[in-house]
Amino acid sequence: MALAMPVLNLPGQTAFRDSVELDPIVVTASHTPKALKDAPVVTRLITLHDIKITDATNIQDMLTQEIPGLEFGFAMTQETTLNMSGFGGSSVLFLVDGERMAGETMDNVDYSRMNLDNVGRIEIVKGASSALYGSNAVGGVVNIISRENLEPWTANANSRYNTFGHEWRNGASFSFNTEKWNSQTSFQHTKIDPIDLPKAHTSEEIALELMKKAQGLPYDESVLDDDSNLSRLYGQTTYNMKERLTWRATDQLTLIGRGGYFFRTSERDTYDYHFNAYSAGLKGRYAWDSARHLELSYAYDQYDKANFMPDGTRTHDHDYSNQQHVVHALYSHPFGRNNLLLGGDYLHDYLTTYQFIEGASHSQDNIDGYAQFDWNITDQLNIVGSARYDYFSASSLKALTGRLAVVYKLPIFTLRANYASGFRAPTLKEMYMHFDMGNMGYWIIGNPNLEPEKSHNFNLALERQNRIRHSGILDGAYNFTLVGYCNIFDKRITTIDYDYEGQESALYWNEDGVNVWGIDISMGHYFDWGLTLKLNYSWMHETGNVYFSQFNQPRTHSMTWRIGYGHRFSRHYALDAALSGRHQGEPQSGRTDVDQGYTIWKLMLQHHLWRGINVNTAIDNLFNYKPKSYYYSSPLTTGTSFSIGLSVDLTQ
Amino acid sequence: MKKIVTMTLAAMAFVMSLSSCSKDDDDDKKVEALATQVAGSYSGNEVVKVMGEESSNEVKTYVFVKASDTSVDLTIPQVGMGMMTIPALPVKGISLTKSGNTITGKLDSYEGVVTNASGEEKNYTISNLALVFSDKTIAVTFSLKYGNMPMTMDTTFTGTK
Repeated sequence: MALAMPVLNLPGQTAFRDSVELDPIVVTASHTPKALKDAPVVTRLITLHDIKITDATNIQDMLTQEIPGLEFGFAMTQETTLNMSGFGGSSVLFLVDGERMAGETMDNVDYSRMNLDNVGRIEIVKGASSALYGSNAVGGVVNIISRENLEPWTANANSRYNTFGHEWRNGASFSFNTEKWNSQTSFQHTKIDPIDLPKAHTSEEIALELMKKAQGLPYDESVLDDDSNLSRLYGQTTYNMKERLTWRATDQLTLIGRGGYFFRTSERDTYDYHFNAYSAGLKGRYAWDSARHLELSYAYDQYDKANFMPDGTRTHDHDYSNQQHVVHALYSHPFGRNNLLLGGDYLHDYLTTYQFIEGASHSQDNIDGYAQFDWNITDQLNIVGSARYDYFSASSLKALTGRLAVVYKLPIFTLRANYASGFRAPTLKEMYMHFDMGNMGYWIIGNPNLEPEKSHNFNLALERQNRIRHSGILDGAYNFTLVGYCNIFDKRITTIDYDYEGQESALYWNEDGVNVWGIDISMGHYFDWGLTLKLNYSWMHETGNVYFSQFNQPRTHSMTWRIGYGHRFSRHYALDAALSGRHQGEPQSGRTDVDQGYTIWKLMLQHHLWRGINVNTAIDNLFNYKPKSYYYSSPLTTGTSFSIGLSVDLTQ
Repeated sequence: MKKIVTMTLAAMAFVMSLSSCSKDDDDDKKVEALATQVAGSYSGNEVVKVMGEESSNEVKTYVFVKASDTSVDLTIPQVGMGMMTIPALPVKGISLTKSGNTITGKLDSYEGVVTNASGEEKNYTISNLALVFSDKTIAVTFSLKYGNMPMTMDTTFTGTK
């Protein structure tokens, strides 16, 4: 289960490897802190070390490099779509420190809001988790957890330049920690220029082949077949700032306040898209002891969209605002070595959008309650059962979900068996949309009678982790995890052809679902002398009412890998090097008008110099892979790119 | 002797002037021939793709007019219907060159303003226009960015005069 390996603190290893936790704690699988090796459900952990070594700018880069079977693509508006082991973005719940985010771009939240500069770790639980997290946790949960520095104070400034789109990423963070107070402040700015994607053939070559075809002469059909969906990637600029302040009022009582602001502008040909997000929250935690505690919290999140003309005039024809107020309560009570968790949430969701009838807005309330019992029958056998009830006011929908997880630790292997149900309630947009797409008379109509999507997830996992000692060069820690799963997904919400007032249109509708079968294999070996080998492989197969969208392409085989080496050569110089790669197999659909399989390699070198100065260099797409045509599901590369960055930790 | 030299130089100058005139005359004929040959009305098939997907495939008429000795103007016919109509769009200054037995034309970018059926002014940009002409047949390809449409329309046309 421990897909991230504990790394021992050995002489000669670098600062990043030293920072990897010996026995990492995760929270997503059980809603309470648990050692990764004891988590009831297979949890993929991306550590701070992983985040730093991948040199990723955003969450898309990060997840793509680490998780096989996970792929981001573009939609028509160049907003991002996601496919994770056969599930679309709307079926994967993204959380930041356990909190939902408001707003949507294409099929999920705005991924660029997730600034990696202040992230401590990312936890991924594949499969349904609605019994703990409610709607949207149909195909998986990605929980991004902020870093919490415990040194008296830290400061960091960093800057990176990438040749792809002349991208600049600049960040700064500051933290302080006293007996009573802890503050974490971060700021990140990114800017990328528009990128014209090269066409396979010039317009002159195309015209010449057209002429040959018109004259009945032999011609090259492939020249005329360039059906790229994308010709230009729009440039964009982001600003992202966050503050979290913790006050340890007493040994038992902790209060946490947080706030954040995000701005993104996407530079289109005729006007600019502006995205603004505001978030704030207050949490109080009272702990009687390490196992018994009560949490109460309030969270606010707002996501706005608007279009502006080049002269700065707001057009008001694309105004959008989604506001969410959430109140949480969570109580944990121990019974000997067992634990009962009780929770409840109230969510008020408000949406006004240009895609509703002019001037309209809609809102709904979601109330839920859940319970989880963590039963440690013996040292080897652990059973965790969860149940949750959700009610949605706008649709009067009710959802009852559950999960049963069994962990059995054998001398050699740990076995995990898990059943979980999931659901996704129809969104306000899907219920009330009334939109003439592109003012072309093609209407997309919402459906207030939609039913929630539902899923049932079964998985069985086998895990082995251990250390090799007294074997010379092989000494180190290793792990192996094999997971087999089946997801039964039904009542998928999609659109069907519809006749609206005599015009060809689309209507939101519940369709029959799919069954997704898959195997995930993960293995790693951390050699004591600094070498790291990691390999993740995913096999997936869909049956049933399979819908192959051009925006995302489920692939039968996918793989990620990394060969890393870290060594401290002297007091003033250490090196972390990583050669990583990802392979996406051919699409399961057999469609030829989408990107076929590809492999991309990346080489990263991080030089740790004197007094906290780090120089990071990377060569992405090492072997210069170039898509023949740029489809929505193509990797966004025009060939090899280079980056160089400087990071200074002022506290060291 | 001096007279012979003078006559020889005069003869050479005459021959050179003749040859020069002859060359210029030939060029003028070729330049005129390019625009004149291409100018005309062509009927054929127009295919429009938006983001890789074919959005229309219709018989259309493209009209080329001589603009100068080495360039032609084009009027791209109206496309679509109803509210989705894009009116006829003038494109000016397609430069022509002779290439073997064919004439090729090129225009990197052209920006214009047109009034649509609702009386609204719309900006449009034609980019990467290329044409090939041979024996009364023409092949044209270009990209059109119209109004606030976030995507380009990639068009090919083949027709005969």
